[in-house]
Amino acid sequence: MPTATSAASNTKTQEKRTVVTPTRAGSDPKTSDQRTVQRPLSPFMFPTWYRFQITSALSILHRITGIGLALGSILLAWWLIAVAAGGELFAATHAFIASPIGMLLLLLWSIAFFYHLCNGIRHLAWDAGHGFELRTAARSGFAVIAATVLLTVLAWLYVLVA
Amino acid sequence: MKKPRSLSNPAALRDATVLRHVSQLGSARDGLREWRLQRLTALALVPLGLYFAASMLWLATSDRMTAAAWLGSPIPALLVMLFVVAALAHALVGLRSVLLDYVHTRARRLAADLFVRAVVVILAGASVLAVLKLFLGR
Repeated sequence: MPTATSAASNTKTQEKRTVVTPTRAGSDPKTSDQRTVQRPLSPFMFPTWYRFQITSALSILHRITGIGLALGSILLAWWLIAVAAGGELFAATHAFIASPIGMLLLLLWSIAFFYHLCNGIRHLAWDAGHGFELRTAARSGFAVIAATVLLTVLAWLYVLVA
Repeated sequence: MKKPRSLSNPAALRDATVLRHVSQLGSARDGLREWRLQRLTALALVPLGLYFAASMLWLATSDRMTAAAWLGSPIPALLVMLFVVAALAHALVGLRSVLLDYVHTRARRLAADLFVRAVVVILAGASVLAVLKLFLGR
């Protein structure tokens, strides 16, 4: 590869990239000739510097819903024990589930469950090597949101009708 | 100049992740086992979870007799136990990876890890016992 040409083209691309906001300029590392290097930003800088992307937002949502569902399994075990034990324990559990807080938890559980299920299938497709293109990943992300809303609405329509 | 391999090429991805190349990598060298467990339980949880969620939405606010009769019949009893065990195994892998990412002190991570394992084992044991009691006590 001819070095002269490559050096010239390098300078060009670096100059193009050196568009820096005033607040960032101070802390950025400099190259030997004092040009600012723009490095990728970590998600913790969200939302100030990090541009919103459907893929990263859904990724953290997968974790959050996963943790939520794990916490929900405590309630599930509690309910199973209450059914087995019967008596006062079941009455108290039943009253809690039927209360507004219980119904809200059940609603949140169903949203988290359907989201984690749909996005989990998306993850399994990635594990099999499919759908890594940026546009495909964004599209499947929107499909996951749509499927989550649809399944949640259908489930609760069923509950309210039945 | 080497051309970067496209991720959309399935063969490229497969060749970089063949078992003999990755089996000795990962956390404490058994990351692959965890990875596999997470995926296998994920696959199992697609049908089990749908079955469970549909039943739960119908049962959650029902009276005890209906719930006990349902949990005591063979197929729901089996499927609910399988669901609880698969879900908690899946949750354990997930929660441990969250701990690995966010808890940085060795002692704290060990404590959190043991705590999560204990809670998961207790929840799984208690749920299975509850369903078994209903099934056997019919």
